[in-house]
Amino acid sequence: MILLIKMKNIYYSYDSGAYALKNVSLEIKTGESVAFIGPNGSGKSTLMKLINGLVNPESGSYTFEGSEINSKYLQNDLLLKSFHKKIGFVFQNSEVQLFCSNVYEEIAFGIRQMGMPEVEVQKRVEDILKLLKVEDLKHRQPYHLSGGEKRKIAIASVLVMNPEVLVFDEPMNGLDPESKRFLKELMVSLNKAGKTILCSTHDFEYVKGVFKRAVVFSKDHTIIRDGSYMEIMEDDNFLFNNNII
Amino acid sequence: MPEWLLKKDHYVPSIEKNTFINKSILSILKVLTKFKYNAKYKSNRFGVNTITKFISAILLIILVALSRSLGFIIIIDVYLLLIISLLNAEEIIHIFKLAIVVTIFTLIIFLPSFLMGNTNNSILIVIKTITTVTAVNITSSITQWNDITKTLKLFFIPDIFILVLDITIKYIVIFGEFSLNMLYALKLRSVGKNKNKTTSLSGIIGTMFIKSKEMAEEMYGAMECRGFTGEYKLHSKYKFRLNDILCIIINIGFIASYFYFVGV
Repeated sequence: MILLIKMKNIYYSYDSGAYALKNVSLEIKTGESVAFIGPNGSGKSTLMKLINGLVNPESGSYTFEGSEINSKYLQNDLLLKSFHKKIGFVFQNSEVQLFCSNVYEEIAFGIRQMGMPEVEVQKRVEDILKLLKVEDLKHRQPYHLSGGEKRKIAIASVLVMNPEVLVFDEPMNGLDPESKRFLKELMVSLNKAGKTILCSTHDFEYVKGVFKRAVVFSKDHTIIRDGSYMEIMEDDNFLFNNNII
Repeated sequence: MPEWLLKKDHYVPSIEKNTFINKSILSILKVLTKFKYNAKYKSNRFGVNTITKFISAILLIILVALSRSLGFIIIIDVYLLLIISLLNAEEIIHIFKLAIVVTIFTLIIFLPSFLMGNTNNSILIVIKTITTVTAVNITSSITQWNDITKTLKLFFIPDIFILVLDITIKYIVIFGEFSLNMLYALKLRSVGKNKNKTTSLSGIIGTMFIKSKEMAEEMYGAMECRGFTGEYKLHSKYKFRLNDILCIIINIGFIASYFYFVGV
Protein backbone atom coordinates (compact mmCIF):
# COMPACT_ATOMS: atom_id res chain seq x y z
CA MET A 1 0.00 0.00 0.00
CA ILE A 2 1.25 3.47 -0.93
CA LEU A 3 1.18 6.44 1.43
CA LEU A 4 -1.76 8.63 0.34
CA ILE A 5 -2.37 11.19 3.07
CA LYS A 6 0.12 12.50 5.58
CA MET A 7 -0.79 15.08 8.20
CA LYS A 8 1.79 16.49 10.57
CA ASN A 9 1.01 18.64 13.61
CA ILE A 10 -2.13 20.15 12.12
CA TYR A 11 -3.79 22.98 14.02
CA TYR A 12 -7.00 24.63 12.89
CA SER A 13 -9.13 27.21 14.66
CA TYR A 14 -12.43 28.93 13.86
CA ASP A 15 -12.89 32.69 13.53
CA SER A 16 -13.92 32.78 17.19
CA GLY A 17 -10.42 31.57 18.11
CA ALA A 18 -11.62 28.19 19.41
CA TYR A 19 -9.57 25.22 18.21
CA ALA A 20 -11.25 22.61 16.02
CA LEU A 21 -8.10 20.54 15.50
CA LYS A 22 -5.07 20.44 17.76
CA ASN A 23 -1.77 18.81 16.89
CA VAL A 24 -3.32 16.24 14.54
CA SER A 25 -0.85 13.88 12.90
CA LEU A 26 -1.83 10.82 10.89
CA GLU A 27 -0.93 8.77 7.85
CA ILE A 28 -3.39 7.00 5.55
CA LYS A 29 -2.41 4.52 2.85
CA THR A 30 -4.25 3.73 -0.39
CA GLY A 31 -7.05 1.21 -0.03
CA GLU A 32 -7.46 1.72 3.73
CA SER A 33 -10.85 2.04 5.37
CA VAL A 34 -10.66 4.40 8.33
CA ALA A 35 -13.38 5.48 10.75
CA PHE A 36 -13.02 8.82 12.54
CA ILE A 37 -14.88 8.68 15.81
CA GLY A 38 -15.31 11.09 18.68
CA PRO A 39 -17.90 13.12 20.56
CA ASN A 40 -19.83 15.99 18.94
CA GLY A 41 -17.66 19.03 18.21
CA SER A 42 -14.40 17.09 18.49
CA GLY A 43 -13.24 18.20 15.03
CA LYS A 44 -14.17 15.24 12.82
CA SER A 45 -16.15 17.28 10.27
CA THR A 46 -13.41 19.94 10.17
CA LEU A 47 -10.88 17.20 9.43
CA MET A 48 -13.10 15.93 6.60
CA LYS A 49 -13.20 19.46 5.14
CA LEU A 50 -9.45 19.80 5.54
CA ILE A 51 -8.83 16.49 3.76
CA ASN A 52 -10.94 17.84 0.87
CA GLY A 53 -9.03 21.11 0.74
CA LEU A 54 -12.04 23.22 1.74
CA VAL A 55 -10.18 24.70 4.68
CA ASN A 56 -6.46 25.14 5.18
CA PRO A 57 -4.58 24.33 8.39
CA GLU A 58 -3.39 27.19 10.55
CA SER A 59 -0.11 25.39 11.08
CA GLY A 60 1.29 21.98 10.26
CA SER A 61 1.35 20.24 6.91
CA TYR A 62 -1.07 18.15 4.88
CA THR A 63 0.35 16.06 2.07
CA PHE A 64 -1.72 14.18 -0.52
CA GLU A 65 0.12 11.78 -2.87
CA GLY A 66 3.36 13.58 -2.01
CA SER A 67 2.10 17.12 -2.79
CA GLU A 68 1.59 19.54 0.05
CA ILE A 69 -2.00 20.78 0.01
CA ASN A 70 -1.92 24.42 1.06
CA SER A 71 -3.50 27.67 -0.13
CA LYS A 72 -0.79 28.10 -2.79
CA TYR A 73 -1.42 24.62 -4.20
CA LEU A 74 -5.18 25.15 -4.20
CA GLN A 75 -4.84 28.47 -6.05
CA ASN A 76 -3.57 26.59 -9.09
CA ASP A 77 -6.74 25.81 -11.04
CA LEU A 78 -5.38 22.66 -12.71
CA LEU A 79 -3.95 21.18 -9.51
CA LEU A 80 -7.15 22.03 -7.63
CA LYS A 81 -9.37 20.29 -10.19
CA SER A 82 -7.09 17.28 -10.36
CA PHE A 83 -7.13 17.07 -6.54
CA HIS A 84 -10.92 17.33 -6.34
CA LYS A 85 -11.25 14.65 -9.03
CA LYS A 86 -9.29 12.23 -6.84
CA ILE A 87 -11.25 12.87 -3.62
CA GLY A 88 -15.02 12.61 -3.39
CA PHE A 89 -16.80 14.13 -0.41
CA VAL A 90 -20.27 13.16 0.76
CA PHE A 91 -21.50 15.92 3.05
CA GLN A 92 -23.30 15.33 6.34
CA ASN A 93 -26.33 17.15 4.93
CA SER A 94 -27.00 15.71 1.47
CA GLU A 95 -29.35 18.57 0.59
CA VAL A 96 -26.43 20.94 0.10
CA GLN A 97 -24.98 18.68 -2.58
CA LEU A 98 -28.01 18.69 -4.84
CA PHE A 99 -28.54 21.71 -7.05
CA CYS A 100 -29.51 20.40 -10.51
CA SER A 101 -32.97 20.20 -12.04
CA ASN A 102 -33.28 16.39 -11.97
CA VAL A 103 -31.44 13.34 -10.72
CA TYR A 104 -29.91 12.48 -14.10
CA GLU A 105 -28.48 16.00 -14.53
CA GLU A 106 -27.26 15.95 -10.93
CA ILE A 107 -25.24 12.78 -11.42
CA ALA A 108 -24.00 13.82 -14.87
CA PHE A 109 -22.82 17.26 -13.64
CA GLY A 110 -19.24 16.32 -12.72
CA ILE A 111 -18.44 13.94 -15.56
CA ARG A 112 -19.83 16.30 -18.20
CA GLN A 113 -17.31 18.89 -17.02
CA MET A 114 -14.56 16.34 -17.52
CA GLY A 115 -15.36 16.50 -21.24
CA MET A 116 -16.62 12.91 -21.38
CA PRO A 117 -18.63 12.00 -24.54
CA GLU A 118 -22.40 12.00 -23.91
CA VAL A 119 -22.61 8.24 -24.62
CA GLU A 120 -20.10 7.57 -21.85
CA VAL A 121 -21.89 10.04 -19.54
CA GLN A 122 -25.15 8.18 -20.07
CA LYS A 123 -23.49 4.81 -19.46
CA ARG A 124 -21.87 5.95 -16.23
CA VAL A 125 -25.02 7.58 -14.89
CA GLU A 126 -27.08 4.49 -15.63
CA ASP A 127 -24.44 2.19 -14.08
CA ILE A 128 -24.41 4.27 -10.92
CA LEU A 129 -28.21 4.46 -10.72
CA LYS A 130 -28.27 0.66 -11.00
CA LEU A 131 -25.49 0.20 -8.44
CA LEU A 132 -27.37 2.35 -5.93
CA LYS A 133 -30.73 0.82 -6.91
CA VAL A 134 -32.31 4.17 -7.71
CA GLU A 135 -33.06 3.81 -11.43
CA ASP A 136 -36.68 4.87 -10.84
CA LEU A 137 -35.52 8.26 -9.51
CA LYS A 138 -33.75 9.19 -12.77
CA HIS A 139 -36.20 11.93 -13.78
CA ARG A 140 -37.23 13.11 -10.32
CA GLN A 141 -36.34 16.52 -8.89
CA PRO A 142 -33.62 16.03 -6.23
CA TYR A 143 -35.28 18.39 -3.79
CA HIS A 144 -38.47 16.37 -3.54
CA LEU A 145 -36.76 13.10 -2.63
CA SER A 146 -36.79 11.53 0.82
CA GLY A 147 -33.75 11.82 3.13
CA GLY A 148 -32.44 8.35 2.22
CA GLU A 149 -32.94 8.94 -1.50
CA LYS A 150 -31.16 12.30 -1.30
CA ARG A 151 -28.21 10.62 0.42
CA LYS A 152 -28.06 7.96 -2.32
CA ILE A 153 -28.15 10.59 -5.08
CA ALA A 154 -25.44 12.63 -3.31
CA ILE A 155 -23.28 9.49 -3.14
CA ALA A 156 -24.06 8.69 -6.79
CA SER A 157 -23.08 12.20 -7.91
CA VAL A 158 -19.71 11.77 -6.20
CA LEU A 159 -19.14 8.13 -7.13
CA VAL A 160 -19.81 8.69 -10.83
CA MET A 161 -16.62 10.75 -11.00
CA ASN A 162 -14.70 7.63 -9.95
CA PRO A 163 -12.65 9.21 -7.16
CA GLU A 164 -9.81 7.25 -5.60
CA VAL A 165 -10.72 8.39 -2.10
CA LEU A 166 -14.24 8.64 -0.71
CA VAL A 167 -14.83 10.81 2.32
CA PHE A 168 -18.13 10.39 4.17
CA ASP A 169 -19.19 12.80 6.91
CA GLU A 170 -21.69 11.04 9.22
CA PRO A 171 -23.25 9.10 6.30
CA MET A 172 -25.70 7.13 8.47
CA ASN A 173 -27.36 10.23 9.97
CA GLY A 174 -31.10 10.33 9.37
CA LEU A 175 -31.27 7.08 7.39
CA ASP A 176 -33.68 4.23 8.01
CA PRO A 177 -32.22 0.78 8.90
CA GLU A 178 -32.57 -0.55 5.35
CA SER A 179 -30.72 2.43 3.85
CA LYS A 180 -28.03 2.07 6.53
CA ARG A 181 -27.52 -1.60 5.68
CA PHE A 182 -27.36 -0.73 2.00
CA LEU A 183 -24.80 2.02 2.60
CA LYS A 184 -22.70 -0.30 4.73
CA GLU A 185 -22.61 -2.93 1.98
CA LEU A 186 -21.78 -0.24 -0.57
CA MET A 187 -18.82 1.01 1.49
CA VAL A 188 -17.52 -2.54 1.89
CA SER A 189 -17.83 -3.17 -1.88
CA LEU A 190 -16.12 0.13 -2.74
CA ASN A 191 -13.26 -0.62 -0.37
CA LYS A 192 -12.88 -4.09 -1.91
CA ALA A 193 -12.81 -2.40 -5.33
CA GLY A 194 -9.70 -0.52 -4.16
CA LYS A 195 -11.20 2.78 -3.01
CA THR A 196 -9.86 4.41 0.11
CA ILE A 197 -12.77 5.02 2.51
CA LEU A 198 -12.59 7.72 5.17
CA CYS A 199 -15.66 8.20 7.30
CA SER A 200 -16.66 10.09 10.41
CA THR A 201 -19.41 8.29 12.27
CA HIS A 202 -21.37 7.81 15.46
CA ASP A 203 -23.39 4.89 14.24
CA PHE A 204 -21.18 1.96 15.26
CA GLU A 205 -23.88 -0.70 15.01
CA TYR A 206 -24.34 -0.24 11.27
CA VAL A 207 -20.69 0.16 10.26
CA LYS A 208 -19.45 -3.13 11.75
CA GLY A 209 -17.20 -4.86 9.26
CA VAL A 210 -16.62 -1.76 7.11
CA PHE A 211 -13.51 -0.35 8.79
CA LYS A 212 -10.20 -1.90 9.68
CA ARG A 213 -8.83 1.14 11.43
CA ALA A 214 -10.27 3.78 13.77
CA VAL A 215 -8.94 7.19 14.70
CA VAL A 216 -10.44 8.52 17.91
CA PHE A 217 -10.79 12.23 18.67
CA SER A 218 -11.23 13.61 22.15
CA LYS A 219 -13.39 16.57 23.12
CA ASP A 220 -10.08 18.50 23.26
CA HIS A 221 -9.79 18.17 19.44
CA THR A 222 -6.76 15.89 19.55
CA ILE A 223 -6.28 12.31 18.39
CA ILE A 224 -6.23 10.11 21.47
CA ARG A 225 -6.12 6.71 19.83
CA ASP A 226 -5.33 5.29 16.42
CA GLY A 227 -5.54 1.54 15.89
CA SER A 228 -7.58 -1.50 14.97
CA TYR A 229 -11.30 -0.67 14.68
CA MET A 230 -12.35 -3.92 16.34
CA GLU A 231 -9.95 -3.51 19.27
CA ILE A 232 -11.14 0.03 19.93
CA MET A 233 -14.79 -0.98 19.65
CA GLU A 234 -14.26 -3.72 22.22
CA ASP A 235 -12.70 -1.30 24.73
CA ASP A 236 -15.95 -0.23 26.39
CA ASN A 237 -14.22 1.63 29.23
CA PHE A 238 -12.21 3.77 26.82
CA LEU A 239 -15.27 4.52 24.67
CA PHE A 240 -17.45 5.36 27.67
CA ASN A 241 -14.82 7.59 29.32
CA ASN A 242 -14.44 9.55 26.10
CA ASN A 243 -18.17 10.09 25.52
CA ILE A 244 -18.29 7.84 22.45
CA ILE A 245 -20.80 5.27 23.75
CA MET B 1 -19.76 -3.01 -9.58
CA PRO B 2 -19.30 -1.34 -13.01
CA GLU B 3 -15.92 -2.03 -14.62
CA TRP B 4 -14.94 1.66 -14.93
CA LEU B 5 -15.26 2.05 -11.16
CA LEU B 6 -12.57 -0.60 -10.61
CA LYS B 7 -10.02 1.28 -12.76
CA LYS B 8 -8.35 4.64 -12.28
CA ASP B 9 -9.40 7.46 -14.61
CA HIS B 10 -6.53 9.13 -16.40
CA TYR B 11 -8.05 12.57 -16.37
CA VAL B 12 -6.10 15.76 -17.01
CA PRO B 13 -8.21 18.88 -16.34
CA SER B 14 -8.22 21.77 -18.76
CA ILE B 15 -7.68 25.43 -17.90
CA GLU B 16 -10.78 27.51 -17.32
CA LYS B 17 -11.05 31.05 -16.03
CA ASN B 18 -13.45 30.43 -13.21
CA THR B 19 -13.40 32.52 -10.10
CA PHE B 20 -17.09 32.99 -9.45
CA ILE B 21 -17.41 30.08 -6.98
CA ASN B 22 -14.42 31.24 -4.93
CA LYS B 23 -15.62 34.85 -4.99
CA SER B 24 -19.11 33.80 -3.85
CA ILE B 25 -17.61 31.61 -1.09
CA LEU B 26 -15.44 34.49 0.11
CA SER B 27 -18.31 37.00 0.17
CA ILE B 28 -20.57 34.62 2.16
CA LEU B 29 -17.70 33.86 4.54
CA LYS B 30 -17.22 37.59 5.12
CA VAL B 31 -20.87 38.07 6.09
CA LEU B 32 -20.88 35.00 8.32
CA THR B 33 -17.65 36.06 10.02
CA LYS B 34 -19.21 39.45 10.73
CA PHE B 35 -22.24 37.83 12.36
CA LYS B 36 -20.16 35.36 14.37
CA TYR B 37 -17.78 38.11 15.40
CA ASN B 38 -20.69 40.24 16.56
CA ALA B 39 -22.19 37.35 18.54
CA LYS B 40 -18.85 36.62 20.24
CA TYR B 41 -19.00 39.70 22.44
CA LYS B 42 -21.12 39.96 25.54
CA SER B 43 -24.02 42.37 25.46
CA ASN B 44 -22.62 44.52 28.27
CA ARG B 45 -19.35 45.42 26.55
CA PHE B 46 -17.56 48.30 28.33
CA GLY B 47 -19.94 47.62 31.22
CA VAL B 48 -22.59 49.76 29.53
CA ASN B 49 -25.94 48.20 28.76
CA THR B 50 -27.52 48.28 25.34
CA ILE B 51 -30.28 50.81 26.15
CA THR B 52 -27.72 53.36 27.35
CA LYS B 53 -25.52 52.78 24.29
CA PHE B 54 -28.47 53.03 21.92
CA ILE B 55 -30.00 56.16 23.49
CA SER B 56 -26.54 57.81 23.69
CA ALA B 57 -26.00 57.17 19.97
CA ILE B 58 -29.43 58.58 19.05
CA LEU B 59 -28.89 61.64 21.26
CA LEU B 60 -25.45 62.22 19.74
CA ILE B 61 -26.83 62.00 16.21
CA ILE B 62 -29.68 64.45 17.00
CA LEU B 63 -27.31 66.96 18.64
CA VAL B 64 -24.85 66.73 15.74
CA ALA B 65 -27.66 67.21 13.23
CA LEU B 66 -29.03 70.27 15.08
CA SER B 67 -25.71 71.93 15.83
CA ARG B 68 -24.21 74.56 13.56
CA SER B 69 -21.06 74.91 15.68
CA LEU B 70 -17.80 73.36 14.47
CA GLY B 71 -16.46 73.53 18.04
CA PHE B 72 -19.26 71.28 19.36
CA ILE B 73 -18.80 68.75 16.56
CA ILE B 74 -15.05 68.63 17.21
CA ILE B 75 -15.76 67.80 20.88
CA ILE B 76 -18.03 64.93 19.77
CA ASP B 77 -15.37 63.73 17.30
CA VAL B 78 -12.70 63.68 20.02
CA TYR B 79 -15.06 61.65 22.22
CA LEU B 80 -15.71 59.18 19.37
CA LEU B 81 -11.98 58.88 18.65
CA LEU B 82 -11.45 58.10 22.32
CA ILE B 83 -13.96 55.24 22.10
CA ILE B 84 -12.42 54.02 18.82
CA SER B 85 -9.01 53.86 20.50
CA LEU B 86 -10.45 51.30 22.95
CA LEU B 87 -11.62 48.96 20.17
CA ASN B 88 -9.54 46.24 18.54
CA ALA B 89 -7.68 46.62 15.25
CA GLU B 90 -10.27 44.87 13.04
CA GLU B 91 -13.09 47.03 14.36
CA ILE B 92 -11.03 50.21 13.93
CA ILE B 93 -10.20 49.29 10.32
CA HIS B 94 -13.88 48.58 9.60
CA ILE B 95 -15.01 51.91 11.11
CA PHE B 96 -12.36 53.93 9.27
CA LYS B 97 -13.04 52.19 5.97
CA LEU B 98 -16.70 53.19 6.14
CA ALA B 99 -15.84 56.71 7.27
CA ILE B 100 -13.51 57.14 4.27
CA VAL B 101 -16.16 55.88 1.82
CA VAL B 102 -18.75 58.25 3.30
CA THR B 103 -16.31 61.19 3.19
CA ILE B 104 -15.53 60.63 -0.49
CA PHE B 105 -19.20 60.23 -1.35
CA THR B 106 -20.26 63.36 0.57
CA LEU B 107 -17.38 65.39 -0.89
CA ILE B 108 -18.51 64.49 -4.41
CA ILE B 109 -22.08 65.56 -3.60
CA PHE B 110 -20.91 68.88 -2.12
CA LEU B 111 -18.35 69.61 -4.84
CA PRO B 112 -20.64 72.11 -6.65
CA SER B 113 -21.31 73.87 -3.34
CA PHE B 114 -17.53 74.13 -2.68
CA LEU B 115 -16.96 75.52 -6.13
CA MET B 116 -19.71 78.09 -5.62
CA GLY B 117 -17.86 79.39 -2.54
CA ASN B 118 -20.07 77.92 0.19
CA THR B 119 -16.99 76.35 1.82
CA ASN B 120 -17.74 76.61 5.56
CA ASN B 121 -21.21 75.09 5.45
CA SER B 122 -20.08 72.34 3.09
CA ILE B 123 -17.17 71.37 5.38
CA LEU B 124 -19.55 71.39 8.36
CA ILE B 125 -22.00 69.06 6.62
CA VAL B 126 -19.20 66.67 5.54
CA ILE B 127 -17.88 66.52 9.13
CA LYS B 128 -21.41 66.06 10.50
CA THR B 129 -21.97 63.13 8.11
CA ILE B 130 -18.70 61.45 9.10
CA THR B 131 -19.51 61.94 12.79
CA THR B 132 -22.99 60.47 12.43
CA VAL B 133 -21.80 57.45 10.43
CA THR B 134 -18.96 56.82 12.88
CA ALA B 135 -21.31 57.02 15.88
CA VAL B 136 -23.64 54.46 14.27
CA ASN B 137 -20.71 52.19 13.39
CA ILE B 138 -19.26 52.30 16.88
CA THR B 139 -22.66 51.43 18.35
CA SER B 140 -23.05 48.53 15.94
CA SER B 141 -19.50 47.31 16.70
CA ILE B 142 -19.92 47.22 20.46
CA THR B 143 -23.50 45.94 20.61
CA GLN B 144 -24.99 42.57 19.79
CA TRP B 145 -27.56 42.93 17.03
CA ASN B 146 -30.27 41.02 18.84
CA ASP B 147 -29.81 43.40 21.80
CA ILE B 148 -30.30 46.35 19.46
CA THR B 149 -33.57 44.87 18.21
CA LYS B 150 -34.76 44.47 21.81
CA THR B 151 -34.11 48.14 22.56
CA LEU B 152 -36.52 49.02 19.76
CA LYS B 153 -39.24 48.16 22.29
CA LEU B 154 -38.44 51.48 23.97
CA PHE B 155 -39.53 53.26 20.83
CA PHE B 156 -42.95 51.57 20.89
CA ILE B 157 -42.06 49.27 18.00
CA PRO B 158 -44.45 46.27 18.17
CA ASP B 159 -42.98 43.10 19.73
CA ILE B 160 -43.97 41.04 16.70
CA PHE B 161 -41.86 43.31 14.47
CA ILE B 162 -38.88 42.83 16.83
CA LEU B 163 -39.44 39.05 16.64
CA VAL B 164 -39.35 39.23 12.84
CA LEU B 165 -36.06 41.17 12.99
CA ASP B 166 -34.55 38.60 15.38
CA ILE B 167 -35.62 35.73 13.15
CA THR B 168 -34.19 37.53 10.11
CA ILE B 169 -30.77 37.84 11.77
CA LYS B 170 -30.90 34.16 12.79
CA TYR B 171 -31.79 33.01 9.29
CA ILE B 172 -29.13 35.12 7.58
CA VAL B 173 -26.60 32.99 9.47
CA ILE B 174 -28.42 29.67 8.88
CA PHE B 175 -28.90 30.27 5.15
CA GLY B 176 -25.42 31.72 4.86
CA GLU B 177 -23.98 28.47 6.17
CA PHE B 178 -26.32 26.42 3.97
CA SER B 179 -25.39 28.32 0.81
CA LEU B 180 -21.71 28.17 1.78
CA ASN B 181 -21.91 24.38 1.94
CA MET B 182 -23.72 24.30 -1.41
CA LEU B 183 -20.96 26.36 -2.97
CA TYR B 184 -18.38 24.04 -1.42
CA ALA B 185 -20.22 21.07 -2.96
CA LEU B 186 -20.28 22.82 -6.34
CA LYS B 187 -16.57 23.61 -6.05
CA LEU B 188 -15.71 19.98 -5.23
CA ARG B 189 -17.53 18.74 -8.30
CA SER B 190 -16.24 21.49 -10.60
CA VAL B 191 -13.36 19.43 -11.93
CA GLY B 192 -13.46 20.60 -15.53
CA LYS B 193 -15.12 23.14 -17.77
CA ASN B 194 -18.57 24.22 -16.67
CA LYS B 195 -20.36 25.69 -19.68
CA ASN B 196 -23.49 26.51 -17.67
CA LYS B 197 -22.19 28.35 -14.63
CA THR B 198 -25.37 30.40 -14.37
CA THR B 199 -27.49 27.22 -14.35
CA SER B 200 -25.51 25.87 -11.38
CA LEU B 201 -25.89 29.14 -9.52
CA SER B 202 -29.61 29.37 -10.26
CA GLY B 203 -29.93 25.77 -9.03
CA ILE B 204 -28.38 26.83 -5.73
CA ILE B 205 -30.68 29.86 -5.47
CA GLY B 206 -33.74 27.70 -6.28
CA THR B 207 -32.78 25.13 -3.66
CA MET B 208 -32.29 27.91 -1.12
CA PHE B 209 -35.75 29.27 -1.92
CA ILE B 210 -37.41 25.88 -1.40
CA LYS B 211 -35.37 25.34 1.77
CA SER B 212 -36.39 28.74 3.17
CA LYS B 213 -40.07 28.00 2.47
CA GLU B 214 -39.77 24.63 4.22
CA MET B 215 -37.96 26.09 7.20
CA ALA B 216 -40.47 28.92 7.54
CA GLU B 217 -43.34 26.40 7.58
CA GLU B 218 -41.52 24.21 10.10
CA MET B 219 -40.75 27.16 12.36
CA TYR B 220 -44.33 28.40 12.27
CA GLY B 221 -45.48 24.86 13.12
CA ALA B 222 -43.05 24.73 16.05
CA MET B 223 -44.26 28.15 17.26
CA GLU B 224 -47.90 27.05 17.05
CA CYS B 225 -47.07 23.89 19.03
CA ARG B 226 -45.64 26.12 21.75
CA GLY B 227 -48.82 28.16 21.95
CA PHE B 228 -48.11 30.98 19.48
CA THR B 229 -51.35 32.65 18.45
CA GLY B 230 -50.03 35.69 16.59
CA GLU B 231 -49.12 37.74 19.64
CA TYR B 232 -45.62 37.91 21.02
CA LYS B 233 -44.56 39.42 24.33
CA LEU B 234 -40.96 40.44 24.66
CA HIS B 235 -39.45 40.56 28.12
CA SER B 236 -36.17 42.30 28.63
CA LYS B 237 -34.34 43.09 31.84
CA TYR B 238 -31.61 45.65 32.01
CA LYS B 239 -29.32 46.40 34.92
CA PHE B 240 -27.87 49.86 35.35
CA ARG B 241 -24.24 49.89 36.45
CA LEU B 242 -21.72 52.58 37.35
CA ASN B 243 -20.57 52.85 33.73
CA ASP B 244 -24.16 53.51 32.63
CA ILE B 245 -24.34 56.42 35.06
CA LEU B 246 -20.98 57.67 33.75
CA CYS B 247 -22.30 57.44 30.21
CA ILE B 248 -25.46 59.39 31.17
CA ILE B 249 -23.30 62.08 32.80
CA ILE B 250 -21.26 62.38 29.57
CA ASN B 251 -24.54 62.71 27.62
CA ILE B 252 -25.72 65.49 29.97
CA GLY B 253 -22.33 67.14 29.34
CA PHE B 254 -22.94 66.98 25.60
CA ILE B 255 -26.41 68.54 25.95
CA ALA B 256 -24.93 71.33 28.10
CA SER B 257 -22.07 71.97 25.65
CA TYR B 258 -24.56 71.98 22.76
CA PHE B 259 -26.50 74.84 24.39
CA TYR B 260 -23.23 76.55 25.35
CA PHE B 261 -22.09 76.56 21.71
CA VAL B 262 -25.54 77.69 20.56
CA GLY B 263 -25.07 80.75 22.76
CA VAL B 264 -21.51 81.48 21.56
